[in-house]
Amino acid sequence: MGEQSTMKVLAPQAAIPKISRRAMLVGFAVIGASLALSGCSNQKGFAASALPNGELGRQLNVYSWGDYEDPANISDFQDSSDVRVQLDSFGSNEELIAKLAATRGTSGYDVVVPTGLYIPQMVANGLLQPLDHSRIPNMANLDPTYTNQVWDPGNQHSIPKAWGTTGYVYDTTVIKDELSSWQDFLTAAETTASGKTAVLEDAWEVVAIYLAAHNIDMNSMDATALDAAEEYLVGTLAKSIRAFNSNVVTSGIPQGTFALMQSFNGDARQGMLAASDPERWKFVFPTPTANLWMDNWSLATGAQHPDAAYAFINHMMTPEAALREVEYIGYHTGIKDLKEAALADDMELPDLVFPSQEVLDRLKTAVLNDGQERRVEILNRMQAKAGA
Amino acid sequence: MRKFSRRGASVAALSFPTWAYLVFFFIIPVGLVLWYSFGYKPDLFTAHSNSTLSFDRYVEAMDPTFLSTFINTLQIAGLGTLICLLVGIPFAYWMAVKVPSKWRGLLVALVLVPFWTNFLVRTLGWQIVLAPEGFVSDALQNLGILNGPIEILYTRAAVQLGVVYNYLPLMILPLFVSLDRAGVSLREASRDLGANRWRTMFEVTLPLAAPGIISGALLVFIPLMGDYITASVLGGAQGNMVGQLVANQFNSAQNWALGSAMAVMLMVFILLTVVIVGAIYLIIRAILRFNRRVLIEEPAS
Amino acid sequence: MTQNSTLSPIVGNDSLSHDSGSVQIRGVVKRYGTSPAVAGIDLQVRSGEFLSLLGPSGCGKTTLLRMIAGFEEPDEGDILLAGSSVVGVAPNKRPVNTVFQAYALFPHMTVAENVAYGLRQKRTPKAEIAARVSEALELVQMSSFATRNPRMLSGGQQQRVALARAIINRPKVLLLDEPMSALDRKLREEMQLELKVLQRQLGITFIFVTHDQAEAMSMSDRIVVMLDGKIQQVGTAEEIYTNPATSFVAGFIGKQNFISGTLGANGRVETQDGTFVCAGKSEAAAGAPVLAAIRAESIHVHTQEPTIEPNVVAGTMGVVSFLGDVIQYQITTGSGQELLARMTPTHGVLPAAGEKVWLSWAPEHAQIFPNPAPRTGA
Repeated sequence: MGEQSTMKVLAPQAAIPKISRRAMLVGFAVIGASLALSGCSNQKGFAASALPNGELGRQLNVYSWGDYEDPANISDFQDSSDVRVQLDSFGSNEELIAKLAATRGTSGYDVVVPTGLYIPQMVANGLLQPLDHSRIPNMANLDPTYTNQVWDPGNQHSIPKAWGTTGYVYDTTVIKDELSSWQDFLTAAETTASGKTAVLEDAWEVVAIYLAAHNIDMNSMDATALDAAEEYLVGTLAKSIRAFNSNVVTSGIPQGTFALMQSFNGDARQGMLAASDPERWKFVFPTPTANLWMDNWSLATGAQHPDAAYAFINHMMTPEAALREVEYIGYHTGIKDLKEAALADDMELPDLVFPSQEVLDRLKTAVLNDGQERRVEILNRMQAKAGA
Repeated sequence: MRKFSRRGASVAALSFPTWAYLVFFFIIPVGLVLWYSFGYKPDLFTAHSNSTLSFDRYVEAMDPTFLSTFINTLQIAGLGTLICLLVGIPFAYWMAVKVPSKWRGLLVALVLVPFWTNFLVRTLGWQIVLAPEGFVSDALQNLGILNGPIEILYTRAAVQLGVVYNYLPLMILPLFVSLDRAGVSLREASRDLGANRWRTMFEVTLPLAAPGIISGALLVFIPLMGDYITASVLGGAQGNMVGQLVANQFNSAQNWALGSAMAVMLMVFILLTVVIVGAIYLIIRAILRFNRRVLIEEPAS
Repeated sequence: MTQNSTLSPIVGNDSLSHDSGSVQIRGVVKRYGTSPAVAGIDLQVRSGEFLSLLGPSGCGKTTLLRMIAGFEEPDEGDILLAGSSVVGVAPNKRPVNTVFQAYALFPHMTVAENVAYGLRQKRTPKAEIAARVSEALELVQMSSFATRNPRMLSGGQQQRVALARAIINRPKVLLLDEPMSALDRKLREEMQLELKVLQRQLGITFIFVTHDQAEAMSMSDRIVVMLDGKIQQVGTAEEIYTNPATSFVAGFIGKQNFISGTLGANGRVETQDGTFVCAGKSEAAAGAPVLAAIRAESIHVHTQEPTIEPNVVAGTMGVVSFLGDVIQYQITTGSGQELLARMTPTHGVLPAAGEKVWLSWAPEHAQIFPNPAPRTGA
């Protein structure tokens, strides 16, 4: 297993050192947090953000997903700017939001990386600052396909950082049939890959497998559709599932633990790159549709190092940084002509990062709606059934 | 009187580290968790609020996932403690009795070696060891011991193995100390008085090791009930543990009220287990005492 | 300790039979690593005898005892109890019991439960156990402590319990491993007496390990003096005192003075302080290096030069110490040899330190041993 995949395995656990640090300080830290919380219920104010003044300063605090930036890009930025980058990681958007909301602008984080669909609510609650585009000249490098998304028209609060889609990867030595759709996924999971199948630990994504396979809108709030999904997922599929784990694909492929894994395209690529026999594995952009998600650079309210933050975001949007980024994390960063640059650089497994236009056209974006609670319930019951 | 109160004050001052530790690291945190468990999560942007108090989180926590995971956890922890005992007792006995005393320090150090590494890293190591394409799997297949790759990773068996590995030292050390303290001369006395090895084991060695067995079992069982790292690294759909659910509520879902309610239920349950185990111990001890009691008639003087 | 008829169950009939409590040790060797702890021992212990194994620590006496008990097996030789070999027999199958050095009472049991332990192993009926426990506790005067925890007892009380726990099993041989070493002197002297009485009463063989010669002499029928895993001498207390076989035995028993010299004719020993007459015989050839051994209590101190004694040496009085019932004088002779003399306080006027004195002793109180160059005195 390569170092990269080890780190990826560690990434979902990135919260652990934080927890233990928190545990070390139990009494005081928890008291502090409770004061902060009681404070926030009384007053809605945020700590003031520092205004850009042209001074880069010497420190920048970035709060991102685990192992989501090429360390070479970080050190490049540090070397060229003399700014020290403190990189912390979170494991879910909820964690990011809760931390920003609880600290009311005193979290110390400058740059954060929320997923698109959470941005409107974060903006409405004042967690993110409007961006000054004049300080990010490299925005000109962005492919217009990825800007001006529904969740943030005009990119007022966010700039594309990376996007990806959900699909699945399978072991061709176990599953001999050619798989191409979500229905194929379900069939294989119930038969040849039963007991060797992993799905994401994400209620929306798991329910979407059933909905997409039955040509139902993945964001459906229709009770009958969700009941049918529950009946199938809990009653039939659950017993075939070996793991509900969003991070298992990077180690699961080289270790050969599973035959069929629902996964994001970039993670699957990392796993296949770490495998000794990548040709054994096949990634599918399944029909008829799948989730298109995008993570974004944003500036947290209360950020104390705005100049360094803008410089950092701008730095990550140079074509060179974008190329490194896509080769490292395996996700398209939204920079123009990135595919051509990557192909010219002989990037490995480019098909997993740059799906065809035909695939792109059929992807849809996940929405947080009133059906979410029901989806969480379905996943919980499924896990209970699988674990019994 | 003044002397007494001054003395009382100095005792209080001397014991400051003890009670300050208890208050700040035990009473306040547990109290806060209890307090939080009566609150709720108002919205996505707030982890917690206590503005209205209710038992709703406890009702919410008792859903099928939690209960089945709870039973899972209980089985893993119970079986894990039992395996640790079965492995730990002979090992500690060997260390305390059979090994020349000059090697004991080294053995204790060796038992502690795993603690030199971070818990998570140790557990991740097992992921590599147990991988179907890993070296152990390859070796077993090459030796003809297995027909196919090891299919243990992300199953309950892997979690069981992981917890035994992670918690075994916590069992061995108190067992070793109690067996060591029981001393070889008491066992020799028992043999001398006509007891064979087994009788000596059950009448002398085990009763004297009982405090070690109890503290070892508690040292393993309690943290194991709350462990979530082993299960999240080695477990899959099966072998989920309640600690993961609590951690998820605090980390990913940021629902501190629900997480606290789960944590409180876990604590209450552990407390109950300790009480039950303690009661069983006292009953067994009482039975043994009853069996060996000697009723001496009053001398007819 | 009172004697009465209810003691009969403990004074078992079998222990009275002629040979049942005999122990024979034949050519026993025990090695730890390369060095022998017991280097070839032959010994006959008679049934009903009180035998002490006496020697300094490391002499092999405890190892020998543990081999009789069965905690160690000999590398060579044989051990017979009542005429049959017990080598390879587990300790719990041997008809012997042990009183351990630190008593080894079970801390999780009461005094009565401790004493009952051996009988319980033999599945003795409960009523009989109760009767025999109460009897055994009475024998060691511990009846009122039956329900106590042994940890709450004093050293002497613990020892009595350990004794009761061993003898209740009616062993053919009782092994005692320095049982008094943890007691203070007064208590030790009391217990020595009691132990002797008890042994007579029970009629069982006692093998008693000690490094204290006074203790061994006060109780034993015979004493075995051991050194470096070998027997130096076997004999009664009197034999060993008056006729030590080696200079080591002579030095180990009582306070001994050794004067080195060469053997002359007719039991004369030529030393730097003159020639002395010794009644003891020596097989050494004339001219051989020898040690003349004279006990401190055999030396008389004079303030004026005596005229009739054959062995007189002049010296200067050094330290005078009161040792309770005796006074010890340290005298330096003209050649620089230091000699100790012990006399009862009633003897007369005490010479002061620095005074010139004369020492004398009778020829029959001096013994001659070959001089083992590395070991020149006790």
